[in-house]
Amino acid sequence: MNKMNKNKLSAILALLVLVMVSCENRLELLPEDDIAEEIVFSTEVTALGAVVGIYNRAQQDDVLNGTFQFMTEWQSDNVAFEGTFDAFQQVSVYATLATNTSIFGIWDDNYEVIGAANLVIDNLPLVEDEDFTDAERTQAIAEARFMRALVYFNMSTVFGQPLQVAQGRSNLSVPLVTTSETGIELPRATLGQVQDFVEAELLAVIPLLVDGTRIKANPGAARALLARLYLYQERWDEAANMANMVISDPFYTLAPDYTFYDSPDNAEHVFTLVNNAVDGQDTNQGFSNISNPVPEGRGDVPFTQNLLDAYAEEAGDLRFSELNQEGPGAISPNAIFTNKFPDGVNLTDDAPVMRVTEMYLTRAEANLRAGTNVGDTPVNDINTLRSRAGLTDLGAVDLDIILNERRKELAFEGQRRMDLLRNGLNLRRPGQPQEAASAPGQNLTIFPIPQRVRDLSPFVEQNPGY
Amino acid sequence: MKLRIHWMCSVFLMLLTTSMLAQQKTITGNVSDQQGLALPGVSVVVVGTTSGTQTDFDGNYSISAEIGQRLRFSYLGQKTVNVTIGASNTINVQMEEDAQALDEVVVVAYGEKSRKNVITSISEIDSESIEDLVVDSPQNILQGQSAGVQVVSSSGLVGAAPEVRIRGTNSLGGSSRPLFVIDGVVLGDTFNTLTQGTGQGINPLATINPNDIESISVLKSAAAAALYGSRGGNGVVLITTKRGRTDGTVTVDINTNVSFSRLTDSPELLNASEFIDFTTTVRSAIGSTLLTDAGGDVDFIDLVTRNAVSTNSNFSVRGGNNRVSYFIGGTRERQEGVLNGNSLDRTSFRTNVEAKATDWLTAGINMNVSQNNFDRTPAENSFAAPYTIALLQRPDVEPFDENGNFTTAGNVGGGNVIAQEQLNQNDQNTTRIIGNAYLNFDLSSFIDGLSFKQELGIDRNLDDVIERQVELLTPGGFARNRISQQNRVIVNSLLSYNKTFGEKHNLSALVGYSFEENKFRILRGDGTGFLADAQRNVESASTFPITFSSGDETTLVSYLGRIAYDYANGRYLLEGSLRRDGSSVFGANNQFGTFWSAAAGWNVSEEPFMEDVSWIQGLKINGSIGSTGNDRITAATGVLNFFPSLGTFGTNNYNGESGLTPLALANPDLQWESTTTWDIGLSASFFNRRLSFNAEYYNRTTDDLILLVPVDPTFNNGLNNVLQNVGELENRGVELTVDATIFDNPEGFSWTSNFNIAWNENEVTSLPETASLDEQGRPFVEQVGGSLANSPQRAVLGESANSWYVIPYIGVNPQTGDAEWLGADGNPTTTPVAADRRIVGQGNPDFVGGFSNTFTYKNWSLSTLFNYSIGNDLLLTSREFIENPTSGFNKTTRVLDIWQQPGDQAFIPSPNSPTINSFAQTSSAQIADGSFVRLKNVTLAYTLPRDFIDRTFLTNVRFYATGTNLLTIKSDDLDGYDPEASNRADGGGTLGQDFFTVPQASTFTLGMNVTF
Repeated sequence: MNKMNKNKLSAILALLVLVMVSCENRLELLPEDDIAEEIVFSTEVTALGAVVGIYNRAQQDDVLNGTFQFMTEWQSDNVAFEGTFDAFQQVSVYATLATNTSIFGIWDDNYEVIGAANLVIDNLPLVEDEDFTDAERTQAIAEARFMRALVYFNMSTVFGQPLQVAQGRSNLSVPLVTTSETGIELPRATLGQVQDFVEAELLAVIPLLVDGTRIKANPGAARALLARLYLYQERWDEAANMANMVISDPFYTLAPDYTFYDSPDNAEHVFTLVNNAVDGQDTNQGFSNISNPVPEGRGDVPFTQNLLDAYAEEAGDLRFSELNQEGPGAISPNAIFTNKFPDGVNLTDDAPVMRVTEMYLTRAEANLRAGTNVGDTPVNDINTLRSRAGLTDLGAVDLDIILNERRKELAFEGQRRMDLLRNGLNLRRPGQPQEAASAPGQNLTIFPIPQRVRDLSPFVEQNPGY
Repeated sequence: MKLRIHWMCSVFLMLLTTSMLAQQKTITGNVSDQQGLALPGVSVVVVGTTSGTQTDFDGNYSISAEIGQRLRFSYLGQKTVNVTIGASNTINVQMEEDAQALDEVVVVAYGEKSRKNVITSISEIDSESIEDLVVDSPQNILQGQSAGVQVVSSSGLVGAAPEVRIRGTNSLGGSSRPLFVIDGVVLGDTFNTLTQGTGQGINPLATINPNDIESISVLKSAAAAALYGSRGGNGVVLITTKRGRTDGTVTVDINTNVSFSRLTDSPELLNASEFIDFTTTVRSAIGSTLLTDAGGDVDFIDLVTRNAVSTNSNFSVRGGNNRVSYFIGGTRERQEGVLNGNSLDRTSFRTNVEAKATDWLTAGINMNVSQNNFDRTPAENSFAAPYTIALLQRPDVEPFDENGNFTTAGNVGGGNVIAQEQLNQNDQNTTRIIGNAYLNFDLSSFIDGLSFKQELGIDRNLDDVIERQVELLTPGGFARNRISQQNRVIVNSLLSYNKTFGEKHNLSALVGYSFEENKFRILRGDGTGFLADAQRNVESASTFPITFSSGDETTLVSYLGRIAYDYANGRYLLEGSLRRDGSSVFGANNQFGTFWSAAAGWNVSEEPFMEDVSWIQGLKINGSIGSTGNDRITAATGVLNFFPSLGTFGTNNYNGESGLTPLALANPDLQWESTTTWDIGLSASFFNRRLSFNAEYYNRTTDDLILLVPVDPTFNNGLNNVLQNVGELENRGVELTVDATIFDNPEGFSWTSNFNIAWNENEVTSLPETASLDEQGRPFVEQVGGSLANSPQRAVLGESANSWYVIPYIGVNPQTGDAEWLGADGNPTTTPVAADRRIVGQGNPDFVGGFSNTFTYKNWSLSTLFNYSIGNDLLLTSREFIENPTSGFNKTTRVLDIWQQPGDQAFIPSPNSPTINSFAQTSSAQIADGSFVRLKNVTLAYTLPRDFIDRTFLTNVRFYATGTNLLTIKSDDLDGYDPEASNRADGGGTLGQDFFTVPQASTFTLGMNVTF
């Protein structure tokens, strides 16, 4: 046992000390990729990254990229549901439950955009970066305010009854959260409060936003959204005026044909969210995947017979012949699908959020209802669109004709439900299932407040019937 | 197979040559024990050579040796005898019992201990209990074998991770999975297991070869596991691999087997005409589009499953002498899953070598290299999951056209799972290196009893995922290559001291330092837009939706110490330990934590007054208390997050512009969950150790529970949750193990039996003030739902952490034909709402355990192992789909029982009832009694007679036939389902939810063991 001497022992102990010293300072680690909020709002570059992030959050399928839009289409008469998702099925047969996971997703993801926008709005003025000018900050904040207004507008259409039924402006809408401070609990605002907020915000940002883009917030998009808001509010003059302002802006012009989908430079678009293979629709439940037949897509949203019949009333409607495809559905061996979002593999189809066609339809409808001819006559506006569709001119138009044109132009883009409800029409046509449950004011024509939200915030009142 | 025969032959030849050279003189003789009875199986070795044999059943042996050489006779529990060979050709030996050796040695945290001196709760699974099992993972060895260790096989997929819980659910937001340590190397088990529709991906321990395992120690109490500090809270499983020999002999083991597997059960589905009739009836009533008969009639389950054939061969060489010992083993295995397209090729090697380099230095290395090539098959919540699709797919839609080509039209999810498994590539190849090298210095020359061990460990895991989807299923094709690696380095420095003072005072102490770093990296590229299926890799694509590389690192610094004292050969024992951990994972305000334990024991049998009591042995009473932590929170947010305490923004771009979006809310106070356990144990043996039992009671309180506290996204910038240390839960239980040797006749009939049972009661004792209140006003936390985002399982204050919270379902009213649920007011309702939900069952069982028996008669042995779980409820969520009358999916035949006229006791409501639409909603209609008893393993083995073997160069030949999952007793409600279904396997969140879980396979194995 004496073969080991003290030198060796010292060597061993030195080894131990060495190991301990070399490792002690290794606990202070930071993530290699994600960064802290303080760092995000410390420089202009990263702060502007947070603005870009708002658009990214809006790209979620639940916000502007398809799930939200198709959920409303399934409640209406354009689109059949033949898929397998129970959450979609519930909505399509008017058996929606408060626990519907897709509706929670919609709520959650839309508030994610609102949160991202609130963080920008609250923090951008505080960024300590001399190179970040006031003008740059104001412009960036205006973009955030526009996106927040857009999302509140969309949410107000599905989570509460529209203006035309029940208590009108007093109908409960969604909580109006305008701060990034967490934990400030608010009850549901009324529809009137939300609409007033959206209107005020849009009016405020129009002069602050820069022209020349259609893939981000821009003054035309703010006006187009105002036109839609005024139309929903039946403020015909203002609706016609706003629509007319967009149409009069040479930056936006009616496309000569229907190849503008997924062409973000096309002047048809007032606001379109660009999707590409790398960043875009975030799940397989967006425009591209569920609307394409299998195997490219899920084949969940074929045309209803009623919509096919509507197009068939007049032969040669290019809005059908150019924009449909036939293929296997999720369940049916063969069905007709839209071709507006044809890339079911890489999901790169852009989201048509607002386009100038809608402005013509809005101007026509508002002029007709107000008895005015702001910009042009209703019949001229409608004929402009019909001639692009390869149809003959009409001599006169009425509300039914305008709504029918609106239906055929904007099918699969998520507008049909509100166009019916605000005009007091059932969401389903006679002969379609659940017609009675689809009448304006019926409980299940609007979404429930998600049960998870109710579990966490019981003061957020549930909609009747859930 | 051909290759294997080749090398087997060459080994045989080598051995034959050596045995011929050694032929000098034949010594024969008989070996007996203290009472003069023949001792079979005694090792007889010519010292200093490789020559050796064993005594036969009559205690006789025969060996060749030279005069002057020494024979060594050794046998477990007997003192080793050395005899020098003289003129006589006969040497008879009577061996003496070695009281010291009878004490089996148990592996404990950072060391070993004599069983008698263990005073904390540790159960050991020894080599005998492992030998007869045919299992594919270390976790499965634990199944039914250890009281208080619940192992649920989560799926019938090859390489599925079993769910292991020691003494119940210990965590809500984190994981309840115990820590696995192999030969001192703490294994990483959270990374790179990549789910494909399932709640958990590939078993992170799938690279550990069960054939290499010598024994497993399960450290159950906090006192036993306290030396693992912040990671010991869920218990620790210490795996010890096989060692070399020190007796100068060499043993070669060859084990080869072939297995045949099939699905144990699956739901009975409608055929095409039943399906069309049923859907027509329902759809006409509710006004949905009718499903037109596509003309086919397919049994999809038959198409996606198979009778699988698997083969496994392994060899090992164990040898050595008192200076160098070694174990070298290799395994080649092909496992075929019962699902088409699901298989695993495993090749692994192990080398364990230890050298006594000098009288003051011992050096050793344990090294395992394994290569697992998985052909994967998605399961559960995925449209690419063949089993899920087989249950959902319309039976009238053929997956082939009239020419036999694959079709995609009308298939659920728009794919074709049969084509997918045949044409697509979906591989995960894992290379893993686990090992440690150590130097052990005997410092007795400075301080008697002092030694120092320096250890370096590594756990390196490299995963290579290769996917390729063909044109038919993904237009343009799709390819993915994802390479991820985890590199863990562990440095341990341990100073230990063992000394006996006077005659009776034994003291041992350990102090140590440990450092661990984990580095993670992922590199991934996806590509679409191929011209031809023949182009295999991402390079040939035209579009690259995802290309990224990312990395992160975590570190853990620890100081540990233990002191143990016993008086008079272990009559009184005391032990205490302390560990201080600092981890980079935790919040800046709580980076360090301290864990401790204290234990005391009394070996009553060592008391002088017990000397005359001959019918009882080893009577011991012990108790312990200690604290441990649970740091398994990196997955608590659903995605791996190594910095869960930080509020961060992540990169999320728009149109190619770099963007930042909020990811997580900050909590700088975040720390580990801390568990305090006290327990008491009583163990004793009777009738010369023929009957022994061990009983334990424990009470385990876990506080500072880490919860992903749901926050309302409405008021939190769209974020859904924040990690917090809130809440407390308690597990109380009793564990009982009985071992009996009922008959013991080595020449005739022997029967040994083990029975273990564990009761555990789980109660949530505190939840955060911010927790939501359920309909009955109790705070609760929703459990994380595995492959399903949300689960109706909740941790409810004052109730179990795994309570099913759904609407109670009554049934179809025979008079009205309406489905009826129980309303909150106690009256039946046809329009239930969320407010009607209540606790209707428990995911955790009342008690679990196992019952094993081994019968031997002469050369035959039969061993059986039952495991059981009683009192738990399963939620069969797949029933919401395959028993949904209005959906377009196929359905089980149960739906044919449809209400038609008043008086009908039906399963499905009247199609004209509005409840036909709401029938399938989540309710207790999908809850089933999950109790079961399962014949997990039965092995019949035959060992060739000794007198035959002795004429060959072989020392042992054993043939065996093993059945796995041959018999399952379960409730009728579970017809078609596996009671071990688990939607989540990483030991967190939901317990006992089925969502199209692939049932277990029943397997029949034929095999052979050859030893020489």
